[in-house]
Amino acid sequence: MAEQDIIRRSGTTDITPASQARVGGVKKVAKLFDATKCNGCKACQVACSEWNDLREEVGEFSGSYQNPPSLSPECWTLMKYNEIEDAGKLRWQFTHSACMHCADPACLKACSTAGAIIQRANGTVDFDSDKCIGCGYCASACPFDIPKISAKDNKAYKCTLCSDRTAVGLEPSCVKTCTTGALRYGTREDMLFYAEKRVEELKARGYKNAGLYNPEGVGGTAMMMIFHDINDPESYYMPKDPQVPMATEIRQDWLKPLGTAGLIATAAFALMHRITVGRNIVEEDQPGYIDAAAEKEEDSK
Amino acid sequence: MSKQEMIVRHKLFDRLCHWTIVVVGLVTFLTGFSFFYPSFQWLGGIVGTPQLAKVLHPFFGIAMCLLLGLLLIRYYHHNKWDKYDWPWMKAVVWVLLQKEENIPPVGHYNPGQKMLFRAFVIFVIAFIVTGVIMWQPYFAPMFEASTVNWATLIHAACAILMLIAIVVHFWMATWIEGSITGMLYGKVSKAWARKHHPAMLDDFKEEEK
Ligand code: HEM
Ligand code: SF4
Ligand code: SF4
Repeated sequence: MAEQDIIRRSGTTDITPASQARVGGVKKVAKLFDATKCNGCKACQVACSEWNDLREEVGEFSGSYQNPPSLSPECWTLMKYNEIEDAGKLRWQFTHSACMHCADPACLKACSTAGAIIQRANGTVDFDSDKCIGCGYCASACPFDIPKISAKDNKAYKCTLCSDRTAVGLEPSCVKTCTTGALRYGTREDMLFYAEKRVEELKARGYKNAGLYNPEGVGGTAMMMIFHDINDPESYYMPKDPQVPMATEIRQDWLKPLGTAGLIATAAFALMHRITVGRNIVEEDQPGYIDAAAEKEEDSK
Repeated sequence: MSKQEMIVRHKLFDRLCHWTIVVVGLVTFLTGFSFFYPSFQWLGGIVGTPQLAKVLHPFFGIAMCLLLGLLLIRYYHHNKWDKYDWPWMKAVVWVLLQKEENIPPVGHYNPGQKMLFRAFVIFVIAFIVTGVIMWQPYFAPMFEASTVNWATLIHAACAILMLIAIVVHFWMATWIEGSITGMLYGKVSKAWARKHHPAMLDDFKEEEK
């Protein structure tokens, strides 16, 4: 199935953009995770592994219900469990962690392979694993530490936002399964509207710092989160101010053009030099070496 | 012309080492730049597919660095700064313009070659360190993502700089006729040595004694 709704494509110049005839009526979508409703049941994590046929190995208990310990090539959605002590009471905070589907995706910017990462007109970011070479540039650039490289097939994997479901009008499998209504999916506009109402409600109930996590540093995300305390996203294992990393920007926006210019300039200079100055040949019949002193004498004659 | 006296400039081991580096380096550079320039991913086709290029690049790279390191160790004693270097360096414009009479003598290597030598030392170290840090799927997962990301930047910057250095190296090698035959077959004529590296002949005299 040819994809014709691609608004950004890794390793591709603007002169030859990806096919985008079918971006016309497409609205931006979003998944909303409401941490204030989540009860940590892990149904989403299981649904993800079910729908995508992923089976991460059963790990070992390490003092937390979080398992596996981190996202992996076989685990694209992971429930994170953070134990918080609040006024002498223990409280759990759950984070539905998966790809954030950044509007300005660092992974796509860093990718070294044409078309291995694409962004669709609906705003979601997808990996075309068949093209992927497994260099891992996406994994090191992502400010949320999401893509993981499989040692089995050298490919990068992460949440697709169920692009194979949403393409035919279904919601992502995690959203479909969520037992509490903490996960929602819809147009970005609707989700922003809903989130605003929900945050207002939380504030009215006494959660003064409740707010929406939709970080500006990456242009906003197509997975947004509602937190009890928006000033402390780290307590949900989320970065405070995620950005496209500086090293990625320097490499792609500065090193490439400047380095290429330097390379071409050097080669051009070398060629011009060869043509203008000409050959550098040794006259083999010129007097051979005697020794430095005698040679000098001879020269001065 | 058959009378021309030849002297040894590069020993057999060093010549084999050098040309192996050229072949291994060619594969390393073409595969490496296939990742840097996605539109030129076909450069990696020298080893088959882009995926194979990714798998093989680090191994060729390690081989290139180890062999280059070996060559650098073997040529270290020729590349120390000496009294001839500074006057030559000041006259480098005359060297490029081939105004022979204005060029002060130099020894086995000239300061340009010695600078290239030092650049290669830095590149070898930088490539090994950053290359291991970014090596998926073996070593990269052991490091922080931001460490890997900076390593990737430094690795790419060194690759561009080293390619520029190699363009200069190639330019000089092909310009100074007789030097490639020297690196291929080991010997240069005394007249060649006298023209390009006069003080080298003093070393040679001493060795002969
Ligand atoms: C096709 C490409 C190349 C050609 C034609 C070439 C040619 C030469 C020649 C003629 C010399 C001897 C210079 C002299 O006698 O003064 C030399 C030396 C050397 N080459 Fe190359 N070379 C090539 C590529 C490379 C590459 C890719 C590397 C390393 C990655 C390399 C590393 C060296 C080193 C380390 C020396 C010794 C220089 C010194 O100690 O200062 N060469 N090369
Ligand atoms: S969260 Fe990471 S993997 Fe997902 S779109 Fe953003 S940068 Fe890419
Ligand atoms: S691992 Fe694959 S998707 Fe990630 S940057 Fe490399 S080629 Fe692109």
